[in-house]
Amino acid sequence: MKSSFRIRAVAFVATAAVLALTACSAGSSTSGSSGSSPGGDQKLSIGLVAEPASLDFTTTDGAAIPQLLLGNVYETLVKQDDSGKIVPSLAKSWTVSADRKTYTFDLVDTAKFTNGKPFTANDAVFSINRVKTAWTISLKAAMDVVSQAKALSPTQLQVTLAKPSNDWLFRMTTRIGAMFSESGVSALATDPVGTGPFKFSKWNRGDSIVMVRNDDYWGTKPFFQQITLKYFKDATALNNALLTSTINVIGTVQAPEALSQFTSNTKYQVIEGTTNGEVLLSFNNSRPVFKDIRTRQAIRMAIDHKALLDTCFAGRGKLIGSMVPPTDPWYEDLTGIAPYDLAKAKSLLQASGAAGKTLRLRLPTLPYATSCGQVVKSMLEQAGLKVQIDQLEFPAAWLTTVFKNADYDMSIIAHVEPRDLGAVFNAKYYTRYDDPTLQGYLAAADAGDEAAQVDNMKKAARRLSEQAAGDWLFLLPNLVVADKNIKGLPQNAITESFDLSKLAR
Amino acid sequence: MKRLNPSLVAGGVIVGVIVLMALVSFVWTPYDATLVTPASRLLKPSWSHWFGTDKFGRDVLSQIMVGSRTTLFVGVVAVGVAAVIGVPLGILAAMVRRWSSEVIMRANDLLLAFPALLLAIMFGAVFGASTLTAMVAIGIASVPGFARVIRSGALQVMRTEYVLAARAAGRRPWPIAVRHVLPNVTSLITVQASVSFAIAVLAEAALSFLGYGTPPPTPSWGRMLQESQEFLFSAPRLAIFPGVAIAIAVLGFNLLGDGLRDRFDPKLEDRR
Repeated sequence: MKSSFRIRAVAFVATAAVLALTACSAGSSTSGSSGSSPGGDQKLSIGLVAEPASLDFTTTDGAAIPQLLLGNVYETLVKQDDSGKIVPSLAKSWTVSADRKTYTFDLVDTAKFTNGKPFTANDAVFSINRVKTAWTISLKAAMDVVSQAKALSPTQLQVTLAKPSNDWLFRMTTRIGAMFSESGVSALATDPVGTGPFKFSKWNRGDSIVMVRNDDYWGTKPFFQQITLKYFKDATALNNALLTSTINVIGTVQAPEALSQFTSNTKYQVIEGTTNGEVLLSFNNSRPVFKDIRTRQAIRMAIDHKALLDTCFAGRGKLIGSMVPPTDPWYEDLTGIAPYDLAKAKSLLQASGAAGKTLRLRLPTLPYATSCGQVVKSMLEQAGLKVQIDQLEFPAAWLTTVFKNADYDMSIIAHVEPRDLGAVFNAKYYTRYDDPTLQGYLAAADAGDEAAQVDNMKKAARRLSEQAAGDWLFLLPNLVVADKNIKGLPQNAITESFDLSKLAR
Repeated sequence: MKRLNPSLVAGGVIVGVIVLMALVSFVWTPYDATLVTPASRLLKPSWSHWFGTDKFGRDVLSQIMVGSRTTLFVGVVAVGVAAVIGVPLGILAAMVRRWSSEVIMRANDLLLAFPALLLAIMFGAVFGASTLTAMVAIGIASVPGFARVIRSGALQVMRTEYVLAARAAGRRPWPIAVRHVLPNVTSLITVQASVSFAIAVLAEAALSFLGYGTPPPTPSWGRMLQESQEFLFSAPRLAIFPGVAIAIAVLGFNLLGDGLRDRFDPKLEDRR
């Protein structure tokens, strides 16, 4: 009798423990929407996956920081609209000299920083000069072309370039162009001060960041009084958070296999568009094994990209074949350069002597990277390579080990910065890709007229693909799921920012 | 004739089947457990794939089989670590002077108060997620259990006449511990090992589920559960099979521990 009771008790405890394990996936927080009454004090909660490592994008890499702050807390002189066109922001208008070296901006005169100081041309000069002197991230190189920034009056700014540059004005729409107050840069990592429609309020590390409406904003004031960005490491927990009304919006769906639970439910809207997020299987080109182009080409040919996309991202997204998304003017479908050919991949690996070698694939702990990494490993091992997967905690461990120290053979990460071909593929970046021919195309694209820019950027993209400087697994789709009544959600995510100011209910 | 102990038999059979499955997986599995075959993804259970396939097209039965290796390996090493540290500590605590014993046991209590999973997650964060980190962390977290149980057993042995005789004859503490105390606490070690094994299996599954255990693509029951989350609505079988495997394994080791305790406990002698 006692023995059978014991068996039942043990069985109950074991089963309960497993059930507890399986239940661990649910989201845990309870904050969120404040109710349905219309008005100015409404709140919104958005779920995202990658939490910023800091709030200072001048010294810390990572797309999560500009996604949060750019356009929301910090503004730029010019910005991109939804179609990618450069439009006014803090600059009402601008003119370019005939030699394409001098830009004169007329600035708005009503903008104020959240520390109360007015925004003037002197702040713009300070911000532009500060990129060269105080920024440490590699993207700061985009400002090297500026030879002088001068305030002609409180509302007029003149920037002189050392040489004509197509790229510079575009870069001014990115984090490089963020405008800072001279008295507001003492604690960028924790207390950002900008002119934008939102103010940073609170950061519960590991959980959420709270933004509140800037009621002194110079432009159209946002609808929501408070927006909470909640960060989830687990893709399913993110989905569950929306299902349980913990959040109102999933900013980027990371578990596309589970999307059907939203598409079939009239309570939700699903938006599918495109992004700048090239999911790159990066090679450490400074490693001897990658010096041989045959090895790099073999890896590209060993991967069946269509099958990979179907397997690790439910077939959503786009195959691109190089580092250019379809929304850029110089996009070409380059997937035909390295088509899936297992037999050829095997023979290339034999010829280069890489067959049988072990490569370390160091993955960030991001859902798409973990999924795709397993597919890549399996496909490369069928071609004759050995692949050892290491998972590195993202962002801290991955940024230090792979991004900063380049201690890796291969990695997988989505590069979401716009027009980032030149930034990602150079000798100083973690790809360690040193190619004078590519740099020549990029320089010619930057210096030439619009037609020359498009032509040379196409050559650069083709060069990258032919040289197999990395492998472009696919382009991330912009998958947004939200409560049915949320308006202003972006169809495409082609800038660095998640624009919170357009959201409404 | 002694009555058959049902817990011992049931536990022994379950554990035996798991060990057998792990051993067989070294020489044969229906399919390569890590081979990604996109064309066969998310297949329902059939004659060719008894438990179906996962989103990578990997055979679930093959993964369960290979995953049992991870489970047993983690259990063996974690229990080994716990026993190697915990048993000597327990015997030492029973043999040394009162205040030294207090120091050892209070330090032991301190470790006991620290949640095992939290310790393992800390290890994972510092040394990186791996099976080895999980094993060592689970092992260290299981040390207090061993030390407490062995100390109580050793204290009883220390009061027996043969130990008193050995001490009177001038035997040094070390030979007494090895020749007299250790052999007499073996049954306690066995029982504690099987109970700790069940805890280690569950802890490894939890750690892999949370991403701090066995890294992909090495099959692990906990990670199979984690990867099945996306499919709880569309293919719940992907969660059920590894979930049931974990439940059965934990049940098996607990029953075995229960049965062994019944068998070795002299107080239960009259009931047998």
